[in-house]
Amino acid sequence: MDPQLTPDQSLRIIQDMVLQAKKSFHRMSFYFLLWGVLLTLAMVAQLITATFSPGAEGVGWVIASVVGAIASGVHGAREGRREQVETLADRVLMWMWIGFMITLFGTMAGAGIAGYSTPVGSIMLLTGLPTFTTGQMLRFRPLIIGGVLFWVLGIISFHVDPVWVGILNIAGMVFGYIVPGYMLKRQEDGVRTA
Amino acid sequence: MAFAPLDPVLHNQLRLAVVSLLVGVESAEFTFILERTGATRGNLSVQLTKLKEAGYIVVKKGYRDNYPLTTCSLTPKGMKAFERYVEAIKDYLRP
Repeated sequence: MDPQLTPDQSLRIIQDMVLQAKKSFHRMSFYFLLWGVLLTLAMVAQLITATFSPGAEGVGWVIASVVGAIASGVHGAREGRREQVETLADRVLMWMWIGFMITLFGTMAGAGIAGYSTPVGSIMLLTGLPTFTTGQMLRFRPLIIGGVLFWVLGIISFHVDPVWVGILNIAGMVFGYIVPGYMLKRQEDGVRTA
Repeated sequence: MAFAPLDPVLHNQLRLAVVSLLVGVESAEFTFILERTGATRGNLSVQLTKLKEAGYIVVKKGYRDNYPLTTCSLTPKGMKAFERYVEAIKDYLRP
């Protein structure tokens, strides 16, 4: 015979378990740190090549994209095997970021093939979307601020010299990806050991 | 005022905990449910079987890296039953 539950106990069980499920987002900090570092290096490389080897500015972006895509894929597959639960939010976030990467790659490849310079301002505006949305879904304020920062810097970069566009982009990567990524990692490590 | 009867399948501490956990996720492994509910393996297996027999959850058994892997997910019937249970509980708690 099952022990009798009171309505209050039932409600508490439901609340506790729904809260447990809510805490079960997959770890995302790795991607922010990886892409933050890679794209910062790509931007630095673009600034250097623009000075010393004009015409080869896009090489750093291509290398960063390929390395980032491979590392993300390998890490994602490994984590996927380890994760014990999948939420709808995990799936939404995964496909949003894959869609973002395809759009980003298409924009950079399209601009490169057509002979345009890398549209850094547009890329920053575009980057704001998944960053902001991820921050809202995780309820993680540093990423929300990071997303807004990308939008603000993206708009400003349409009105400044190319060197400043590079500096703004690096600032965006550091404060929109790397710093929130590090803070998220600390939070994830805390949740995992809790 | 007459209260709606509570679903006997869900009106059990562990079964209610399992379904409440599965409401928030697409699917969850047996070990995840075990950790989050704090149940014993044997008791959890029994309660999962009862939920499965009621058609409230789907239990998939497979392998990952040569180890057995059991994954559970809520069915539409299970979701409906959970919603009805929550509504009934609200009636009981209404002053």
